[in-house]
Order: sequence, then structure tokens, then C-alpha cells
Amino acid sequence: MIGYGVDMGDGWIFAALLAVPVAGMIGLTQVRNSFRLLYTLCALVSLQALVIAWAGWRLVAGPAGGLHAGWFMIDALSWHHLMVMAVVFTVSTWYAVSYFKAELAANTITERAMRRFGSLWCGALGAMTLVLTSDNLGLLWIGVETTTLMTAFLICLHRTPASLEAMWKYLLMCSVGVAFAFMGNLLIVAAARGTGLGGGAVLLSSMLRQCAGNLNQPVVKLAYLFLIVGYGTKVGLAPLHSWLPDAHSQAPAPVSALFSGFLLNTALYAILRVTGVVEAAVGNTGWALGVLRLFGLVSILVAAAFILSQSDVKRLLAYHSVEHMGIIAVGVGLGGGAIWAALYHVFNHSLCKTLAFCSAGRLGQLYGTHDMGRLKGVMARDPVWGTGLVGSLLALIGMAPFALFVSEFQIVKAGVQTGQWISVGIFLAGTCMVFAGALQHVLEMAWGEATEHHEVVRRSRLEIVLVTVCLVGLVVAGTWMPAEVRDFLMAAGRIVEGR
Amino acid sequence: MKLMSIAHLFLALLAAPLLLGVLNRCKAVFAGRKGQPLCQLYFDVWKLLRKGAVYSRTTTWLVAAGPVIGLAVVLTGLVLTPAGQTPALIRFSGDLILLAYVLGLMRFFTVLAALDTGSSFEGMGASREVFYAALAEPAFLTGLAALSCLAGEFSMSALSGTASLQTWSASGPVYLLVLAAWFVVMLAENARVPFDDPNTHLELTMIHEVMVLDHGGPDFAVIQYAASLKLWIYGSLLVGMMFPFPSGSPVLASLVFAGGMVLVAVLIGVLESVTARLRIVRTPELLLGAFALSLVALLLAVSAGGAHVG
Amino acid sequence: MWVDGLFVVLTIANLILLGTTRLSHSIRVVAVQGVLLALLPILRVESIHVTRALFLVVLTAALKGGVFPAMLMRSMREASVRREMEPMLGFTASMALGVAMLAASFWMGGRMQALGLEVSPISMASVLFMMFTGILLLTARRKALTQVLGFLVLENGIYGFGLLVAGSVHWLVEVGVLLDVFVAVFVMGIAVYHINREFDHMNVDELDRLRG
Repeated sequence: MIGYGVDMGDGWIFAALLAVPVAGMIGLTQVRNSFRLLYTLCALVSLQALVIAWAGWRLVAGPAGGLHAGWFMIDALSWHHLMVMAVVFTVSTWYAVSYFKAELAANTITERAMRRFGSLWCGALGAMTLVLTSDNLGLLWIGVETTTLMTAFLICLHRTPASLEAMWKYLLMCSVGVAFAFMGNLLIVAAARGTGLGGGAVLLSSMLRQCAGNLNQPVVKLAYLFLIVGYGTKVGLAPLHSWLPDAHSQAPAPVSALFSGFLLNTALYAILRVTGVVEAAVGNTGWALGVLRLFGLVSILVAAAFILSQSDVKRLLAYHSVEHMGIIAVGVGLGGGAIWAALYHVFNHSLCKTLAFCSAGRLGQLYGTHDMGRLKGVMARDPVWGTGLVGSLLALIGMAPFALFVSEFQIVKAGVQTGQWISVGIFLAGTCMVFAGALQHVLEMAWGEATEHHEVVRRSRLEIVLVTVCLVGLVVAGTWMPAEVRDFLMAAGRIVEGR
Repeated sequence: MKLMSIAHLFLALLAAPLLLGVLNRCKAVFAGRKGQPLCQLYFDVWKLLRKGAVYSRTTTWLVAAGPVIGLAVVLTGLVLTPAGQTPALIRFSGDLILLAYVLGLMRFFTVLAALDTGSSFEGMGASREVFYAALAEPAFLTGLAALSCLAGEFSMSALSGTASLQTWSASGPVYLLVLAAWFVVMLAENARVPFDDPNTHLELTMIHEVMVLDHGGPDFAVIQYAASLKLWIYGSLLVGMMFPFPSGSPVLASLVFAGGMVLVAVLIGVLESVTARLRIVRTPELLLGAFALSLVALLLAVSAGGAHVG
Repeated sequence: MWVDGLFVVLTIANLILLGTTRLSHSIRVVAVQGVLLALLPILRVESIHVTRALFLVVLTAALKGGVFPAMLMRSMREASVRREMEPMLGFTASMALGVAMLAASFWMGGRMQALGLEVSPISMASVLFMMFTGILLLTARRKALTQVLGFLVLENGIYGFGLLVAGSVHWLVEVGVLLDVFVAVFVMGIAVYHINREFDHMNVDELDRLRG
């Protein structure tokens, strides 16, 4: 009889991880003062980050299979993503303080909207934590659905026609996608009929990986197709990405940072978790990895094509997200050594994208527009966020010595080593197109001639710290890779591969 | 056996106008009127036969020939149609296709006669009639195919009267769907509400009545009689293939058949009293819906053909 | 035989949905669909948890047959929209496409058996057809409310699929579908309200300011 035990020591971690956001979600609806709300938000997010750090310490010290408690689990793959989530949330929340301070000063946002923001922000944090810590695929699905719910109203924080349109498109497309993913879950239950698992245990991914040999192969393959199409809609893999540019460009900057920084990765985590099971079920032939690789390559090419013709900086960044999700998918799809490089890329991209959206947001507030034709000479006018924007954009297109270049290089190297020339070729073609197309935009924005003359803007210490930490973090991540970190990422990679 | 078939043929010839009488009486009851006598159509036919006919100088032999050919054709159809458990006088495998096209031939000559008069009203009515027929035919034939698939037989006489309570409980959905589809087709082919209001006096809204607007006297009597025979044919197909018949005594089967025909007439009467006529742009949807229903029945019959149904 | 009859009724309900223009009719048909599907587990009682199954059945039927249609009707009244005029895909074309999809569903239902899932062809075909209908309503109609209805129909289809494929009343199927339906009705209902207020209409194909 296959069962699962509950270790109360680890159980507290899961309880804390979920209790903090839920408490925030309920409590923040009562805070009247917006400044106090923002600082409380920062405190909650920092608390969550501390709990995640504690979980990491327990993971390293604990059993090899990771921490388990009933339907919850943290292993190398989930902790990696939890860590990225903590970083992204911390940076975005501290950034939100300065962003909303400016909005409150300019009276473009109401106190009610701020309370809504705080509550939904915590809700999103809670939902993402649920996705990352659940062992049960059904619970994971519920978490993904909840993230859709929470973030939909974050998009239309300002009730404008354009943001409502973006929200509707997002809600509809992602709900349909998640419904397809539910079909995939049902098919997995059908495939698991022969394994003897029953009741709630039939969807536990750890259990499924153990008895993967008894899963009905054709049904599992069909299930994987549904899951990748379903969750892929939320990741933004082409051709299911059409909600992405609208949602990112219409949402306020902290929300966009959250979307690109972590929401897409949450859905991608769901796909990675299932890939492990499916790969084990098909005997590690690489079928599932091939499907993922295909989606990734299409995403890179589609994103490259659209990047060349963008005029809005936030939409540009949104298409960059599509491209980088494609890069991660290709990295995972190439298998072997490329997987840990792809996971490494997850961290680099999230950090970089958060910084990029934060900069774009503040600059947008300063200039009053997101049109790249008018965002000229940012380095001169706003040195702090200008450096942030230019640095992050250069990192995104793959400039050395930033970390994204290093992780992309590792992916290409692993692809070449395993002899998958076609994929590597398309990958390089796409990224070069992006490099050439976006570089022009970056140079224009950074050092172009400004149309009017303004004096140089001074920024608060908080903002200087944010930008510096992010940029330095990107450089450090690119140049310093201790052996323990690489082993950790490789362990996570093995989970994805189903070994 | 042949004797029973001939007896049913004479029954049809005699009782068809009575069916229409029942239908009209049902409508009158619904409207709170006393209504026409049940044998009104007999009186009408007799009155018209004694009148003279007027033909326009611009028409050809088609106008005179149309009604007569129509009657001849519908009598042929009657010979092919089974009545309940009594087989038809002429039967062979595939006779259902022949019947469908025999009725089509009748319509063809009616339309030709209408076009021959050269009047725009008739032309309009003819085009609408043909349009409806084109849409109703797939529903009819698909329903027929579904029933054939279910029983494994291709002759109408073999399909008729075989339905019983056992077959209904085994493949009830198929029967219900074909019943619904054929009911709609019958309404369309016989120019009943909701496709065409037989009581309207506005030519622009007529379909069937306007095609025979320029026929008078004996021709019109023949047309009325042929129309009632056509309704009888459709009714006997509906009753024969769907209603559950008791096996054993032929007399009881004939009674059930007669009762079924009366029931069909009453149903049409009720429907005419309760619904309004549909706008012409909406009737294709109804006919397509009937086709969809019979297609579902066909798919059901095919998929159940081997598996579990009786 | 009752189960098959139920699936036939569901198929006809889908055909009606494809062909009707009036939103109130559509809402009622979807409600009937939901209730019939909620009653399905009773006819296929396999599990030993009778009380739990009964509770879920009653809850689902109440929600799908009563609460959600009432909310949708209210949403419809607030937006003062009664009919779906000029959809992107005409009604006759929708019906014709629906019939083609039905044939395709039957074919796929037959193929599913080959994969090793033991289900009767008519039930699998009916459920697949329901999903197709939902997707068609989502993509080819103009009014936002009809899109929400399409989503509900898609969810009904997935729920039916779950019942057929995942065996006995698995609480996950119920909870999952109820959550999705909750998303559809509450969240989308609120969204539709805001869209209507902001835009003064509910035609989603006119929501096209964001391009590229």
C-alpha cells in the first residue's frame, strides 16, 4: 500500500508559507493609510522571504527526497523557484513603495484601489506559493487558477478602457488554457488507473514518478499535450501568447514586473513538474522534452519578429518575456546539461525583467508616456532609472558580462555537445535578430537627443539601492558560480528529466 | 395479405380528406369555434368538380397537366406506402428512395405549372417551395437511413410496423430523434405552420397556396385531393415506422394505425393553433435543426449498430 | 440506456445553444445542462462514499441550476442586452459547423476506446461535442456574456469528461470544475459589469485598441 507520512517539523514550514500571504490578504483590506499599507506589504513579503530561507536551510539539512508533508512538498526544483519568487517579490514590493508614493502624490490612484492592490498582491503571493509547494497536481492546478483570479484585477487597477480590454483578454484566454490543463489532469488520472494508486494519492507527482512505468503511455502523452497547451497559455508560449503584451503594457509597473518576473515562471514550473512525470513514463526517450523544445523555438521566432516592430517600451519588454520563456523551454528541451543552464536562466531573467519593468514604470511616470519615440535621453535626465533600464535591456538581449549571456551560452554549449544542430541554429538566429532589433531601441532611448530640456531628476536612496543591487546581482550571477549552486541546479534538472 | 393492402389503399383514398377535416376541427376547438363539418373537404371537392375551368391564353399544356400528373404521381406513391403492419402493394429493397423522388416529381410538376402561368406571385411561391424542399430532403433521407441502419432492412414495408415497446426501450433515443425530425419535415412538405399558413389570404406570405392560385374548378379539386393524399402518405410513414405496434392480430394493428393517423392530425392541429408562422429567414435554421437531429440519430444508430442495441 | 438518453439530450441542448439568438434561452439551456450533468453520478454510482457523492450532487445542481443562471440573468439585465445580433459566425453556419463537429466527436469517441479508456462512444462523443460547442461560442460570438456562457459549456464538457474518464465521483473533479465555474460567473460577471460601464457596450470584437 503506497502511503505518505506527515512530518510535523516540516509541516510548520508549509503552514507558515501559506499563512503569511493569507493573513496579508485579509488584513490589508483594513489598513486605511496607504503608506502604512505599503510598508506593511514590504514587511509581509520580507517575512515570507525569511520563511523560504528557513525552508531552504531545512532542505539542505534534510532527507534527499526533499521535504514532504501530506500533499505538500519542497524539493530542489521547487525551492529554486521559491527563491526566485522571494527575490522578485521583495524587489517589486520595495519598488511599489516608491512607485505608488509618486502616484498618490499626483493623485492618480485612490485609497480604495491601494487597498485592493495590497490585498490582491498578497493573494497572488499566496497562490504562487501554493503552486510551488504542492505535490498534488490537482492542488497545483487550483493554485494556477487562483493566480489567474488574483492577477486579473491587478491588471485593471486603473479602470481605463484599455486596461479592461487587456484584463478581459487575459481572463478569458488563461481560463480556457487552465481548463485545458484540467483536462490534462483528468487524463493523467485515467492513465494512472493501472498503478493501484487511489483517492488523493493518484495525483501526487512524487508517487507518479515512482510508479511511472505503470502509466498508460498513449494516454499520458495525450495528457501532456493538453497540459502543455493549457499551462503554456499562462507561460506565454507562442502561439498562445497574445494576451501577454496587452496585459503587461496596461498593468501598473509593479504588476508587470510581477507578471514577467514570476507569474510566467509559475506556470512554467507546473509544466516542468509534469515533464518529469511524463519523461519517466515514456522511458526517458525525450519525447516530452521534444514537444517543449518545439514550443520554445516557435516562441523565440515569433517574439523576435514582433520585437523588431515595437514602439511601446512595455510591450517590447513583454515580447522579450515571450522570447526568454522560449529560451528556457528550449534549454529544458535540449536535455542533459542544458536543463540546469535553463533553470539558472530562470533566475537571471526574473531578476533582470523585474528591474526592466521597474525602470520602465518610473520613467513612464516621469515622461508621462511609454512610447519609445518620446523616451529619449534617459541616461541624461534620470541617471538612476536610466541606468536601470539601459542595463537591464542590454542584459536581456544577451550582452556580456551579464548573467543572461552566460546562461544562454551554456544552453548553446550543451546543445552543441549533444549534436542538436537545428535547434541550436534556430535559437541563435532568433536571439541574433532580437539583439540587432532591440539594440537600436536601447541606444536611442539611452543617449538619444531629448526633445525638450529638463533638469536632472534626483532619486531617493531606496531606488538607488534597488537599481544597484539588481545590476550588481546580474553581474555577480554571471561571473561567479560556486560548485554547490551548480550541483543544486543539476539536482533540480534531474527532477525535470524524470531521473 | 394482398387483400389487406388493397383494403388499406381504398381506405387511404376514402379517408384522406377526413384527416384534414379532423385537423381543421382541432384548430377550431382550440380557437373556441364550432368549426367546419368534418367532411368539408368532400363537399369542397364535389363542388369544384362540377364547376368549369378557365385557362389563360398565355399558358401552355403544363398548367392543365400539372394537377393531373400530380394526382397520378401521388397515387403511385400511395401504392408504395405501407400502412402500419400491412405491407405496400409494391415493395422491394430500396423503395424508400423511390418514394422520396416520386414525391419530388409531384413537387416538380406543381412548380412547373406555377412558373408556366407567368405570374410573379407563383414564381415567388415556387422558389420558396423548392428552397424548403431542398433543405428538408436531407433530414428526411437521413432519418430513413437511421431507421434502416437500426433494423438492417432497406424496404419500407419491412421497416413499417416493426416498432414495438421492446425496440423503443432499447433504442428509444433514435426513434425520438427521427420522430422529431420527420415531424418537422412533414410540416414543411405539406405547407403547414410554422412553414406556411394555409389560412392566409395575403399572397406575399403564401408558399403552397400561391402556386395554385390560377387553378380553378376541377383542377383545383384535384390539387386539394392530391394534397390530402400527400399528407396521408407522410402520416402513414410516421405512424408506421415509429409507433409501437402489437404483434399478432392484423385487425388490432389496423386499429392502432388508424388511431395513430388521427393522433398525428390532432398534433398538427394543436401545433398550428399554438405556434406562429416563422419568418422566412428563420425557417432554414429549423430545417437545419431537423437535419442535425436526424444526423444525431444516424450516428447513434451506426455506433450502436454492432454494440448493444437490439 | 438512461445514461445514453441523457447524453443525447445534452447533445441536443448543445445544438440549441449553437442556433439560438436569445441570451435568456441560452442561459436556461446551460443551466439545464449543468443540472443534468450534476445528476449523472447518481446514475453511475460506483463509489462507496454515497453521502459525500449525494452532497456534491446537490451542491453542484443548486449552483449550476440556480445560483449561476440567476447571476447571469442579473448581469444581462444590468447590461440591457437581450439578443446576440450579427455574430461573427452566422447561426446557420454555426449549426452546420456544429453538425460537422458532432460527426468529428463521434469519430474521436471511437478512437478513444483504442487508447484504452473504456467509455461508451455516445457518451464520449457527447462530451467532446460539448467542449467543441463551448469553444465555438467563445470564439465566434460578439457579446461578452455569450463568451462567459461558452466557457461554462466548456467546463460542463470537461466535467462530463472527468466523470467518464476518472471513474467514480472524484472530489477533485467536482472541486476543480466548481472553481472554474466560480471564476467564470463571479469574476467574469464583475468584469463584464465594468466593461459595460466603461465602454457602454458588450461587443468584445470592438475591444481592439491594443494591437501588435
